[in-house]
Formats: sequence, C-alpha cells, structure tokens
Amino acid sequence: MKLSRRRFLRQSAVAFGAPLFIPGSVLGLNGAVAPSNRITVGGIGLGPRGREVLKSFLSQRDVQFVMIADVQETRREVVRVMVNRAYENQDCAKTGEMFEVLGRKDIDAVVIATGDRWHAVASILAARAGKDVYCEKPCSMTVRESQELADAMNRYGRVFQAGTQRRNVDNFKWAANLARTGRLGRIHTVHAGILALEESHQWLPAETQPARELVDWDRWLGPAPWRPFHKDYINGRWRGYFDFHGGAALPEWGAHTVDLCQWGASADATVPVSYEAEGQTIHARYANGVKLVMRRAGFKGEGDWKAPGTCPVRFEGDEGWVEAADSGKVAVSNPRLLEGGAPATMAGTDPSKHVRDFLDCIRTRGQPAANADVTRRGHIVSHVAAIGWRLGRKVTFDPQSETFLNDVEANRMCSRARRAPWHA
Amino acid sequence: MQPRPPRPLARLNPTPMKSLRFLLPCLLLALAGCVTAPDPRESAALAVLKSDAGLREKALACQQLADFAGPAAVPALASLLAHEQLGDYARSGLESMSDPAAGAALLGALETLQGRQLAGVINSLGVRREQAAVPALRRIVAKPGHSGAAEAVGALGLIADPAAAQVLGEILRTGDQALRETAAHASLIAAERLTAAGQSAEAAKLLEASLQAVPAGPAAEAARRQLALRRAS
Repeated sequence: MKLSRRRFLRQSAVAFGAPLFIPGSVLGLNGAVAPSNRITVGGIGLGPRGREVLKSFLSQRDVQFVMIADVQETRREVVRVMVNRAYENQDCAKTGEMFEVLGRKDIDAVVIATGDRWHAVASILAARAGKDVYCEKPCSMTVRESQELADAMNRYGRVFQAGTQRRNVDNFKWAANLARTGRLGRIHTVHAGILALEESHQWLPAETQPARELVDWDRWLGPAPWRPFHKDYINGRWRGYFDFHGGAALPEWGAHTVDLCQWGASADATVPVSYEAEGQTIHARYANGVKLVMRRAGFKGEGDWKAPGTCPVRFEGDEGWVEAADSGKVAVSNPRLLEGGAPATMAGTDPSKHVRDFLDCIRTRGQPAANADVTRRGHIVSHVAAIGWRLGRKVTFDPQSETFLNDVEANRMCSRARRAPWHA
Repeated sequence: MQPRPPRPLARLNPTPMKSLRFLLPCLLLALAGCVTAPDPRESAALAVLKSDAGLREKALACQQLADFAGPAAVPALASLLAHEQLGDYARSGLESMSDPAAGAALLGALETLQGRQLAGVINSLGVRREQAAVPALRRIVAKPGHSGAAEAVGALGLIADPAAAQVLGEILRTGDQALRETAAHASLIAAERLTAAGQSAEAAKLLEASLQAVPAGPAAEAARRQLALRRAS
C-alpha cells in the first residue's frame, strides 16, 4: 500500500511505537559487525551522484542499506540491483514513495540525492521522522530553506551531513588548516571558484507524461512549481532553470567552495556583510574586513587558478597563499609551506571519508564536518551573493538577523512559495 | 550571462497638494497604496496576466510579481489562486508581499478553495504569520475530517502568536487523535518562535502539553529536549 504524505504524518505516532524489526536478511552479513550494531540506511532519489555516495556507504562494514525510494522506476531498480550485488542477497526493497522509507522504524539514517528542489523539504521530513540525514548539495533553494533545514536538524537533534565532502578531502583540509593556524599570516582574502551564473525561465516543450509507475512527474516536481513534463529534466538536465536550481547556479559549486572559504577564513559562525557583483565575479566582505571573492572557474580550467582541477579555492594571508582543487593537489606561494609534508592526493569528489565522518557522528551524536549550522551559513552566503547578482547592485546583509538591511526587494528574494501540499 | 540592469524603483507621484479637501482623499489613497506611480515592471507583468498569453508567460509574470509587486497586483494574483497550474505561481506573488492586502486575499480564498490549492493558501498564511487567520484556521481544525486540517495545524505553528498557541494547546489536549502528532510537531516551531518573542511561559506550556499528548517518538523527544535546555539555561 502506498503511503501518502498525509497518512505518513498522521500515522507516524503509531509507527514510532511499533516494535523494533530487524530483517532477518541482515543477519550474518560481513561477519565483522553484529547486525544489531549496524547503522541501517535508506536512500531517497539516488541518481548518478547519489550512487557514487552510495558506494561509500556500501563499503562500510557497519552499514546496512535496506531500501531505495525514487520516483523513477529505472533508477530505483538500478540501485536495488547495485545494493543486492554488493550484499550478495536480494533484500534491498524499492519504492516510489519516500514516506515508506521515512516510515520504517528500523531505518536510522537516509541518504538524499534528489534534485535540489527536494533537498531541504525531504531532509526536514526525515528529521521529523527521527532519521539522521546525509544530503547532497546544494541543500537548499533559498536563504529561508537554509535556515529551515538547520533549524529542523537542531530541533530534532539529528545528525546532518551536507554532501560537501571537500571538508573531508585531504588537500582541502590541509589548505584550510594552513590558513586557520596562521601559517599564511593574517588572512585577508579568500577565493571561491564558481560556475557561470545563469537563471533560465524557459520551459522545454511538453512531452507525453510517462505512466506514474515509471516516472511520477508530480512527485518529481515536488515543491517546485508546475511545468509540463519533458524527459530532459528527469535525465539530469534540470540545472540552470530557476525553478529547479536555486541561487542562479552559484551554490552548485559554491556549496563547496564558498563553504571552504568560510572555513579557511575561520568564519563558520558568520557570513559576509556586503556583496557586490561585477560581471560574473562577486566581491563580498566580512565585518572584520576579510574579503571573499567568488569568481569563475569551470571544467576546462577557466579562471586564473594555480591548483589544477574543478572547485578551486584560494586562501591569501599577508605572509603567503595556498590553493587547493579537485585534482587533490595544492599550490603554495612558497615551497617552505610544504615542509612537514604535502597532503595525500585524494580526488575532491571522493565522499568516502565524509561518509565515514557522518557514520561516526551517528554513533557519537557528535557534529560532522559539514553539519547543519555550517551548511546553513555556507549556503546563505551563496544565495545572498546570487540575489545581489540578480539585482545588479550592492547589497548589505546582517549576519545576526540573516536579513538584508533596508532592502525589501532583496528580502523578498530570500524565499519562494512551495507548490502545495509541500511545506516544511 | 551578465547581471540584469538595476530595476527602477517605484516613485511617489510629486503632484502638489494644495488644500485640505484635496489632501484628505490623497492620504486615504496613499494608505491604500494607490498614489504610488505604477512600477513599470509591475504594470508589464500585470498586462501579461490580463492577456491571452500562455501558461509559461503567466507563470513567469507571477514569479516576477513575487519579487516586487505591490497591492495593485493583489486582485490579479488572487483571481488565479484556484487555477490548477498557475495557482501556486500566483500564491508565490501573494506570499512574499508584505502589504496586508495580500494576506486578506489569501484569507478570503480559504472559503472558496479545495484540495491542493486550499493547502497551499493555508501554508502561505502560516509563512506570512497572518494572525488574523487564526480564527479561520481554528474552524478548519475543528471540522472533523477537513481536508485542510493538517495544513491548518502546521500554519498555526508558524504563526505562533498566543492565540495560535492556544489553539494548538486545545488540539493537543482534546483534539482529534490523528491531529495530535501534527500539532506536537507544529508546537515545537511555535515554542521556538514564542520564546524568541519573549513568551517563554507559553512556549513551555505547549511543550508540556505535547509531551502529554503524543507517544514516544521524534516529536516527544524534541519537546523533552527543548524543555531540558530551557531548564538548563
């Protein structure tokens, strides 16, 4: 029987009172970790990137992945087969209804890798259901969603890890550590590589909608506004559209690179106060005078970056600078900064250590590297910068109230109404 | 893509006011937001809504109005609230507008809408924290089996003024069993907002009522944690 959102919310009290059920299928697997001590995980919307993350979960001996929910039959079947192959059994369940995952009392945590439009709402629903959450980035469509997401995780005491894995990738950690420990002197400027800012309001031509059992288009849209079906959207080509891709695409990489700059500037507890766009570059400034420059990078080496690879960042102090990017390498202003050893080379896209950090925190109830509060502020910076770009003028933001100062129009852009019946 | 050029700001009509007879009606009109020269962007978007343009063009017009529209756009947006495809777009224009006319339009639509459109409007009233909506939301909650009851409870949690908290408390104590869990979740948000507004005693009452109303689970756990944090601080 399919669970509707309404039925799920109403029956959750009953579900939480149900006895703990551990499927017999988990008994005896791997051998190293007793089934009762495994973290049971479900997935929601695992496309290509989600399946990369899933591999990291499947490789952990103390994890049992038990169910996939996806609005596309082909995708849920691919995941089911992948999981069953990894476990050498036939036990992974699949469903088109995420509330079936959220309603299972035996599931401790969920991996959410839908499109951006769903990230915050699905994460908040998962927190309400008592699940810990690993959510792909960008985790929010707007400033308000960034706030709601963090508030919900704190409200329900859930462990949250954004899929901003570079906080657990060696060269990025090494570079941030160099900046944070004073090896570069006083940090005055941090640089975040971003993709081209874009915002399309076009609709692709309407195509015949597939049967709901194959593709649930209404559920795919979720909280995003209605538009007619086209297969490109469901095949991953939804990026760049205003309705599906928040922050004019700035958070696409900014969720990583701006977040790393917050970290490198020791600014995780605040956000810049002013933002001004100059073409595709956005200059922001923290209250303490440190500058954050969000500027073009790309897949073909766009921009003047010294470290090779996508998602580059650069931290500049008055005694030197360091850059890191997805090649796993770093570039430094002075070879002496490498004394003591360069970081191990690890691809910036590798989520394995980040996933392990999440799992460890589920056990300790500690805070992982990309926790809800860190994610809130990192994402807010990206969204605020994008609003400044949209408006084409300087904007001033108050880190305490998390609102624009004396700027009604900018504040209106901090939020979007969600398509009913979805809300947080 | 280059950033858009700055959008022109709305200007006040500089027409001089020479006599009290002239001044009074002007002041009244000003209060109604009618003497502000129409923002050309708003006029253009409203013209699209009134035209026979296609769904995409009208949807975009609603989204543009969500960024900058004033009360003059309320009737056009409100008239689309029941539209199957454009209703959510129109609601986005009203949800973001601080003018009370937008809230009044959403409140007025409660009686006329059903299903998803009704759920959306109820939620928007919550997002806007429309205190005037509390009595109407209370009536919805009180009707057994009303399709908008769960959304109304959620909206009360967002509004989170003492009147909304009182209704939530009633649901927790004597309401439909099916709604109590929803009310407990809504009360968590309400308690946070009441506390932020300096009404800690009301917040604590709601949390205590939640603990009494729902079985063990995430809502009860969260209420217990909030109460413990309060005691600790």
